[in-house]
Amino acid sequence: MKQFRWFPWLCFLICVQTSERILAADVDFSHDVVPILRQHCVACHGAQEAKGGFSLNSRDSFLESEAAVSGDAAASHFLKLVNSADPETQMPPRDRPRVSKKQTETLTRWVNEGMRWQDGFSFAEPKYEPSLRPRPVTLPPAIDGRHHPIDRVIDNDRTKRGLSLPEIADDATFIRRASLDLTGLLPRSELVNEFVSDTSAAKDERLVERLLADDTAYAEHWLSFWNDLLRNDYDGTGFITGGRSQITAWLYESLLSNKPYDVMTRELLAPQDAGSRGFIDGIKWRGDVSAGQTVEIQFAQSVAQSFLGINMKCASCHDSFIDQWKLSDAYALAAIYSERPLELHRCDKPTGEMATAAWLFPELGNIDPNLDRQERLRQLSLLMTHRENGRFARTIVNRLWCQLMGRGIVHPLDAMQTRPWNEDLLDLLANHLVENNYDLKDVLRLIATSRAYRSRCEIETDDASNADYVYAGPRVKRLTAEQFVDAAWQLTGAAPIAFDAPVIRHANRPDAETSVPHEQSVEQPELSGKWIWGDSAANGGVPPGGETLVFRLTIELPSAPVGGVAVITADNAFKLYIGGREIVSSDDWQKPALVPLHGRLKKGRNDITIVATNGLDRPNAAGLFFDSWVRFENGEQQSFRSDTTWRYSAQPLTGAKEGRLGKVRGPFRPVIVLGNPAVYDAAFSPELRQRFRLTDAGELPMVRASLLKADFLMRTLGRPNRDQIVTSRPHDLTMLEAMELVNGESFAELLSRGAEYWHGRGFESTDVLVDTLFREALMRPPTNEELKTLRESLGTTPDLTSIEDLLWSVMMLPEFFLIQ
Amino acid sequence: MQSIERREFLQQLTAATAATISMGAPRQLLGGEDIEHPTATADACILLWMGGGMAAPDTFDPKHYTPYREGLPVNEMVSTFPAIDTSVGGLKITEGLEEVAGVMDRATLIRSAVQPDLGSILHSRHQYHWHTGYVPPQTVACPHLGAWVARVLGPVNPIMPAFVNIGQRLEGVGEKEELKAFTTGGFFGSEFGPMNLPFPEQAAAAVTPPQGMSEQRFASRDRLFRTLVDQSPHRDRLSDYHQQSMLRSLDKAYRLLKSDDRKAFDITAEPPESLAAYGTSRFGRGCLLARRLIEAGSRFVEVTTEYVPFLHWDTHAGGHETVRRLKSEIDRPIAQLIRDLEHRGRLERTLVVIASEFSRDAIMEGQPGSNANDQATHKVDTVSEMKHYGLHRHFTGGTSVVMFGGGMKRGFVYGKTADERPLMAVENPVTVTDLHATIMTALGISPKTGFDIEGRPFYVTRDGKGQPVRDIFA
Repeated sequence: MKQFRWFPWLCFLICVQTSERILAADVDFSHDVVPILRQHCVACHGAQEAKGGFSLNSRDSFLESEAAVSGDAAASHFLKLVNSADPETQMPPRDRPRVSKKQTETLTRWVNEGMRWQDGFSFAEPKYEPSLRPRPVTLPPAIDGRHHPIDRVIDNDRTKRGLSLPEIADDATFIRRASLDLTGLLPRSELVNEFVSDTSAAKDERLVERLLADDTAYAEHWLSFWNDLLRNDYDGTGFITGGRSQITAWLYESLLSNKPYDVMTRELLAPQDAGSRGFIDGIKWRGDVSAGQTVEIQFAQSVAQSFLGINMKCASCHDSFIDQWKLSDAYALAAIYSERPLELHRCDKPTGEMATAAWLFPELGNIDPNLDRQERLRQLSLLMTHRENGRFARTIVNRLWCQLMGRGIVHPLDAMQTRPWNEDLLDLLANHLVENNYDLKDVLRLIATSRAYRSRCEIETDDASNADYVYAGPRVKRLTAEQFVDAAWQLTGAAPIAFDAPVIRHANRPDAETSVPHEQSVEQPELSGKWIWGDSAANGGVPPGGETLVFRLTIELPSAPVGGVAVITADNAFKLYIGGREIVSSDDWQKPALVPLHGRLKKGRNDITIVATNGLDRPNAAGLFFDSWVRFENGEQQSFRSDTTWRYSAQPLTGAKEGRLGKVRGPFRPVIVLGNPAVYDAAFSPELRQRFRLTDAGELPMVRASLLKADFLMRTLGRPNRDQIVTSRPHDLTMLEAMELVNGESFAELLSRGAEYWHGRGFESTDVLVDTLFREALMRPPTNEELKTLRESLGTTPDLTSIEDLLWSVMMLPEFFLIQ
Repeated sequence: MQSIERREFLQQLTAATAATISMGAPRQLLGGEDIEHPTATADACILLWMGGGMAAPDTFDPKHYTPYREGLPVNEMVSTFPAIDTSVGGLKITEGLEEVAGVMDRATLIRSAVQPDLGSILHSRHQYHWHTGYVPPQTVACPHLGAWVARVLGPVNPIMPAFVNIGQRLEGVGEKEELKAFTTGGFFGSEFGPMNLPFPEQAAAAVTPPQGMSEQRFASRDRLFRTLVDQSPHRDRLSDYHQQSMLRSLDKAYRLLKSDDRKAFDITAEPPESLAAYGTSRFGRGCLLARRLIEAGSRFVEVTTEYVPFLHWDTHAGGHETVRRLKSEIDRPIAQLIRDLEHRGRLERTLVVIASEFSRDAIMEGQPGSNANDQATHKVDTVSEMKHYGLHRHFTGGTSVVMFGGGMKRGFVYGKTADERPLMAVENPVTVTDLHATIMTALGISPKTGFDIEGRPFYVTRDGKGQPVRDIFA
């Protein structure tokens, strides 16, 4: 083998003996090699092109594609092709000029000398280099008295380009847009009337304020955006095998309280408890997966995409052809999460090189790879949310901008290395986020109160405008699946009562004064469970340390509950199982868990099982507390709490895994009720008591589509499968979607319920019915022409059928289906 | 002719496609125009899917037959059905497939299809792999084969949906989320996803105005809608392509619902003797529906015996009896479909494929050397009752695939498996990637066809590397 390698090398030396100039010095990459490659190769194998899977953009990509063997010209495939006389295989292809003999010699020498490459050089197009750190923005002067910072930037931009400013949208269009964008709902018609008739100067700001202050509507609308971005769902691949966990409850509470984005991110990256763990843990697939899809690599991909708009999917298999990221970067990021030594795999083949934990932007600091995982994650969370990490802020504000304006300032959203159409605008928003304590609502407020957002939508006639995009008004957006279904429920009164997301809904914020419902139709329960334990606590006994008991209550239910909540805690630790599935666990008895019960209990027999463990290794006090109530569809309630009816077993549990209970063995014995220890009751804060009592009570807002598992209609309308991160929804209505709306059963059923609802509202005339519907659906009264058409179609006493067809026709109007 | 139809189709889609491009969604690879598509030998494809793992030794690849007896050592059990003759001299398949045996002279039988061992032999992951060409998990949502075909070729008749999926419920069955993960247009979007028709008898309803809606009312609702569109005070924005695209999609839906083509969905329009010939099973009806849809101009139709965990071909116990029942369900309809297509002169240009995610074996899970869990529910060494009799393990080392028409050889057998356990493909193994390359090539789609998604080139066969099995083309 070695002989073969040396032979051409010697031969070569002899051949070039005559050319002293070349021999005198090593081949110069920049001056000798680059021009040859540029002349003959780059058109097909450089920049964006990689024909035959071969890109010579970088030395690594050159070698990786096995086109060349550094130091061995004879073994280098590309030179064989260059030298080949076979018109079928030779390179460049037969219709292109040949590489000259002299050029071939240069390339051969260059390869034999080790393919020296200029550091950082790439044939890839010179890329825009976004700055990492925040960049201060100097606001240009206001034009036409438009002082809003966003307008000062955009107006200036358009004026410089000689473009006029788009017209301002009318009030009805604006309130519809703002309400759907910020809360996902059609504005109520009273609000529309109030807004349209308001003549004060600050009415836009007040409207935006009011919409953002509706915490529940805000949270339940933006839940879909975040579920997509953090690939969280209520069922799907992985959940059934315990290979994936939800972050729903944590996310919902975070949105409800408008948790600052940096705090959210830190909780996601370095979770303090199980509530927000699901994001970094990803999906653990059963069986073998490719090296590019291990949970560690998923971590690298998700963290890079969600928070930084970096596509690390390419680099997790090989050095990326499309941006700067390398295989080693992806693995370094993965190694922060990894609890095992991580070997780099290139295109699924081991390289022998081990990954060292590191973060992508060392200019901000780095990870100490010697720390344990929790600490590494903590360091990552701090680096990510570093105030100097402009990429982090820019990425999220760009996403928010796109949600409202229909197109990112940087587009596509997950290619944040792309040049923004206006850098100042992006930085203005990013700086605003950071300066306002990472308050997401504050950024939305800033955008939504600009004249730019208040303007009429751009009319896009074709796609040509995309290459050199310049803002020309917000872009038209299609209602998302959830927005459409919510709006349909608003118009038909057909929203369900039950929902799937394991969250606790509130009539109002529990800490707000207004949260106490004025009138209670049902007596609301108070926390009144007893502290219980096993025989070791009988007669004032002190249970042994480490004692684990399995407590059980079996209940019979007349139907599946649609609401309700449980409070549970144990000294020291517990796991709650309902129907054999783990619901919640905790080892901090001072922080009782509050968990929703809807969707978890079924009609008939249900087993509530709690595995509780005493702490320490010596005898000490132990206790378990559980209290719950559930509500049925007919409004009736039932309570269950820890008391003398509970039984326990001291036999160890067998076969518990992946969130499943396993086998519980008896004998079961009656529990001991502890002499109500006041020290324990201190764990129940007044807020907790109130939330237990008031959760789900009073007039709850309409259940939202975002809280349900995706059904056929939502799926058809583009609600994604969340096995992957999704950062944009479809912008068009496809033929199959249209089929479902024209013809689909579930939508037809909605319309039929809607017809009954509108019929039942008892309008005095067709005109009033039509007027009301137009105002509720389109935020405007019908024109005379429309009214005339509908009078004819509906007659003087509209029947169910004609109302149904009216509802359909209105909901299919582009004016309804699009956010303009 | 075909290229003209295709151009029209593309024109219709221009606006919709333009919008997807603007979202950073897939676009044809740069240089994609350089790809030379092969000359199609088939205009359409019907995939007959034996979901759950069809045991080759009990269907198309008979081995030593061991009849049922108490005390039969399981490791002696290879085929639980005797072999029967077919219309091809020397070619045998198993008892229970007599009708199919009669049309094997129109078939290419591949006996050496192989699947990767994924460590845990799960139906959902292998089905995903078979239907998309990519082993899950993937970083992007992979399109179903049918979606690729829909994306590249569109329907034959622009009024018809290009891709129809018959017989698989996606709600109310186990592993439904896993099924949905590949029954999709993936990154192409729902424009190219399947029209799902779980129950063939209800297919007509899918293209008939909803219950309680007469044709007349349906038409007047449409008129009302169009009037309101025309009268809309926002009609000045009609040039906006979002509006145009939405109205065009609604229009296309209406066109199908009002066209004569929709009769294709109504199997009761078939003469009674034809209905009878296909039998009353869901699969049989599905085959009939598939034939009608292909005739009306759909491009890719999948008909499944339906995958439900532990049911049908997913035989973890009582395999022999279950397979006997399944064969009686599929035998006549498949043979009838082939004869029908031939009779109507369509077999030549329609590729019919019978396939499954993997085969089965009595004792071996995966393939030799696999560390996969044995998932049989009854682990016994000797057969002591009927439920032990059958092939209850997942086997990935050698699987049968049958192809009729569409430019394939007739009465041809390709590849073989060992006669003694392990029943590995010992000659011309065909991977999923190459099988897909074969199907795509027959349809005139280069296996190198790729789209750019998130900056990554993504190909119809894995990494564009699929090689068609040239030897089976006529």
